[in-house]
Amino acid sequence: MQEAEKEFSPQESLQLITKMIENTKNSISDRSHYFLLWGWAVVIGCLTQYFLKVILNYPKHYYAWLVTPIAIALHFVLKYRDRKKDRVKTFINEANAYLWTSIGLSFFALGFVFAQIGWQYCYPFYILLYGIGTYISGRLLKFKPMIIGGLLCFVLMIVCVYQPYDVQMLITAFAVVISYIIPGYLLRNQYKKTKNYLL
Amino acid sequence: MFKELDPILHSQLRLAVMSLLISVKEAEFTFIREKTNSTAGNLSVQVQKLKEAGYIEVNKQFKDNYPQTTCKVTPKGIEAFENYVMALQEYLQVRKQ
Repeated sequence: MQEAEKEFSPQESLQLITKMIENTKNSISDRSHYFLLWGWAVVIGCLTQYFLKVILNYPKHYYAWLVTPIAIALHFVLKYRDRKKDRVKTFINEANAYLWTSIGLSFFALGFVFAQIGWQYCYPFYILLYGIGTYISGRLLKFKPMIIGGLLCFVLMIVCVYQPYDVQMLITAFAVVISYIIPGYLLRNQYKKTKNYLL
Repeated sequence: MFKELDPILHSQLRLAVMSLLISVKEAEFTFIREKTNSTAGNLSVQVQKLKEAGYIEVNKQFKDNYPQTTCKVTPKGIEAFENYVMALQEYLQVRKQ
């Protein structure tokens, strides 16, 4: 594209427009590491709490959730690292960022609710938030495994309501495996493939 | 007769830049350079022409001590792009008949 002023036909014009739009569509940033970070954090939290509560009968089993501040810290480290990477702002990336900010704030706000009414009610609500987040993200990214994972969260949320608290921990871990971890790894592979393809 | 094609847009590199910017919120100069496979010098000139026409907005700032130029399409640019695409379609339809 050196000769900017070169004459070209309307057909070539349309081809160029289509090519550029197609080319830019692949510029959705790889955000799979955030799904993997939070996915693993929740799995570790749930399984540790289950282990402390059910197997060791340790009364302060909620200490397992000390994993959350660690994950928050790592999240900001990743964000700091990513700040230089983004050379293009797309509407999809922006919509995703707003979505996850609101989900994050919901987790924070719900913390106050459960502190009042009791933490035994928390898991179905958390699964619901995982479902909302991953379903919308999956749709925005047009990524089927995440859409399916998100939808399954709604089913698991209903199942969870009818289970005792100890089982709810395991269901939550499972919900995160199918909505964050599996789609997260698949998403990462897809980005790697697209990148190689473009090169 | 069909509409005349906008001379600002009917140029390979400028059209490539506009097609790229139309599908994003904003993009850095280096990103546009890579995607359009152009040289910095040539791209600068064409970006300046689009800016002078009021089709794009160019922001120069510093990010971590490095100069950073970002481009963004303006409402006037979107309108011009849409008119250009309509004129192209008209032209191609007339040719088909």
